[in-house]
Amino acid sequence: MGSLLDKIDIILISTIRMSVPITLAAVAGVFSARAGIMALGLEGMMLAGAFCAALGSYIAGNVLIGLLAGIIGGVIISLFHGILTIRYKVDHVISGIGLNLLASGITTVLLQTIWGNRGNSPEVNSISPIHIPILGEISPLVCVMILVVILSWIVIFKTTFGLRLRMVGEHPKAASTVGINVNRVKYISVIITGILAGLSGAYLSIDHVNLFVREMTAGRGYIAVVVNILGRYNPVGALGGGLLFGFADSIQLVLSGDNIPGQLIQMIPYIVTLLVLMFAVRYIRPPAGLGKNVED
Amino acid sequence: MNAVEMHGISKEFPGVKALDNVDFSINKGEIHALLGENGAGKSTLMKVLYGMHQPNMGTISIKGKDVRINSPIEAIKLGIGMVHQHFMLVPVLTIAENIVAGAEPKNGLFFDLHKAISEVDKLAKDVGFTIDPRKKVEELSVGERQRIEILKALYRGVEILILDEPTAVLTPLEVKELFTTLRQLKQKGMSIILITHKLHEIMEVSDKVTVLRDGKTIGTVLPKDTSANELANMMVGREVKMGVKCRSTNVGDKLFEVQNLCLKNGDRFCLKDINLYLRKGEILGIAGVEGNGQTELIEVLTGLRKPDKMCLKIGEHEISNNAGADEFIKSGIGHIPEDRGERGLVLDMSIKNNCILGYHRINRFIKKGIFLNNVIGKYARHLIKTFKIKAVNEEIHVGTLSGGNQQKVIIGRIFAQNPEVVIAAQPTRGVDVGAIEYIHHKMIEFRDEGKAILLISADLDEIKSLSDRIVILYKGCVVAQGVTDDFTDTDLGILMTGGKISNEER
Repeated sequence: MGSLLDKIDIILISTIRMSVPITLAAVAGVFSARAGIMALGLEGMMLAGAFCAALGSYIAGNVLIGLLAGIIGGVIISLFHGILTIRYKVDHVISGIGLNLLASGITTVLLQTIWGNRGNSPEVNSISPIHIPILGEISPLVCVMILVVILSWIVIFKTTFGLRLRMVGEHPKAASTVGINVNRVKYISVIITGILAGLSGAYLSIDHVNLFVREMTAGRGYIAVVVNILGRYNPVGALGGGLLFGFADSIQLVLSGDNIPGQLIQMIPYIVTLLVLMFAVRYIRPPAGLGKNVED
Repeated sequence: MNAVEMHGISKEFPGVKALDNVDFSINKGEIHALLGENGAGKSTLMKVLYGMHQPNMGTISIKGKDVRINSPIEAIKLGIGMVHQHFMLVPVLTIAENIVAGAEPKNGLFFDLHKAISEVDKLAKDVGFTIDPRKKVEELSVGERQRIEILKALYRGVEILILDEPTAVLTPLEVKELFTTLRQLKQKGMSIILITHKLHEIMEVSDKVTVLRDGKTIGTVLPKDTSANELANMMVGREVKMGVKCRSTNVGDKLFEVQNLCLKNGDRFCLKDINLYLRKGEILGIAGVEGNGQTELIEVLTGLRKPDKMCLKIGEHEISNNAGADEFIKSGIGHIPEDRGERGLVLDMSIKNNCILGYHRINRFIKKGIFLNNVIGKYARHLIKTFKIKAVNEEIHVGTLSGGNQQKVIIGRIFAQNPEVVIAAQPTRGVDVGAIEYIHHKMIEFRDEGKAILLISADLDEIKSLSDRIVILYKGCVVAQGVTDDFTDTDLGILMTGGKISNEER
């Protein structure tokens, strides 16, 4: 009995922990999608965020600077995506995938040149957990995630910026005929995407663990794209989807002791992704202008 | 002092002079129609006024003040609003949100939805619209959406309203309602500019007409001093025969017969017990308010939709209910689709390829499964020539042609294959006067060869002038049929709106 309760406790805590990066990245995706930009580059933004956070923490020895560096890393990649898609009207899928490959390549090269190691960075300072009653020791970024979800929901659905954002994503021409500066709204949303995705990457490298590992995002950026859709392009939905995938991730920890091959267990999050894509996503209507480049 | 005065406006695009020294002015409280064929420069002129284009030459003054309008935002600030032909609305947002977006009422940092709703409500009541601002735009009909567009302009305090082809997408009833609204707005002192190429609308609603042709002002006239025919001549630049009755003199045997056609959608009948026939050398018109089963009828009679019950004969040959569209084509049934962009043409393909769509399997164009490029090219050039399609060559995308020329590609494709019967749905929708005249002429020529046409059109004038007989559809049933000239306009109006006893089930 006691061991079962223990297991539930482990699953609960680790579900929350695992849900942080996916939720943050999915909310990041919400801002892009609502502005009509397909955020397929989330994986790359997260990876850049994770790397820069580790680097920042390594150089400054300060996690806050690490966090800031991670955010900047995410924003750099997202701004690239923004400039390519908004200014040069590159296909969103191509730009996104291209930037993911770029981020993967650059972080590997920099790992080698800075630390002389292909696999991982040395250990760096990481964010120390805070104590919260009931839940116990938990990362402050969990609180940040919840705050981000609530604030994002308010911004998107309760402010004039949110209304304009949604209009731009649905029908950019309609938005521009009523005097909304479409490109400005798109750039703002792209930057918000970069901030949140960078934060999500930073969580992976200087909170979840305390070093950067090559390809440490392991497809979470792509999962976040799916969670974004599953959550109906809504931050609260993204949190729900994030928790679902956090749960799928955390079952691994509990099941891995038993007699199930490890490879099968590691497949769980990706299988959940496939199932979601097959069954849930079909009925969700994306913003009408998503991924489309409008000629001005 | 005029509300708007545009003087000597010229606008050049690379290679074309879209506007050449055009003058235009409108008074306060006036409905002024801007008439011209597609490409005459009406829309360009209005885009100049709305700040979407900058003129190369000329001056604009609003209420006596010289202005330069660099963007739609500046135009709105000067009190100019525009209702675009393709609505600028977001379907998933509410009416209120659509109307106030860009000039939202605020409550501190937040968007004040309640204030938006009450303001929109008040505005709508002022002009006599009954709408619920909380409803989403996607739930609205096309006519209602247009009202939302008008409200959007009014919300911004517009005094000069430009409407670009506002009736193109409306049903006749909605057109009436729109005109009532426009007259009301005029009473309130608004200046309304109506871009159109529909002559009877001008005669009905406008106070003044300015005719444009090839980017030049042809003249400004008062509708009461002129006639539809005269306007058509001004617009096209030569004598045009409008709505000439031309009845068939040589009607032969039954060629095409539909018996007991039933089509259900769920448990509701879309079409019920339709019986009709076409004889050689006649045009049968289907009259009815849109949405009374016309679309479904077209789809069944061209093999795009399987009926629940039907007996269809062409000559002696019976077509099975399970036949696909290709079998209908092979049996000699040509189809001019309702929506040319959707079903008639592949806009991103060349004229050449569009010329053989649906007939691409016939031996002439194919050898051992490979297209005979030269033969098809020659055929396309032949169609371009015979059907007077204005195009540089046969390789350009159909989407780059004007509506009239696109329609001619379809007409050419069908008629050149010599079908027995043509199902012609809205053959002249969104087509300019010159092309309408040409298409009607071709249809009559085809009829006189002893073929038959089933004409489905929302334009009652077109039905009356072309058809030898008329069938009236109401809620999926034939409520009356007979010789065209036996029906008066009032009769048709009553029958089309279900005025007589109908034995349909609900």
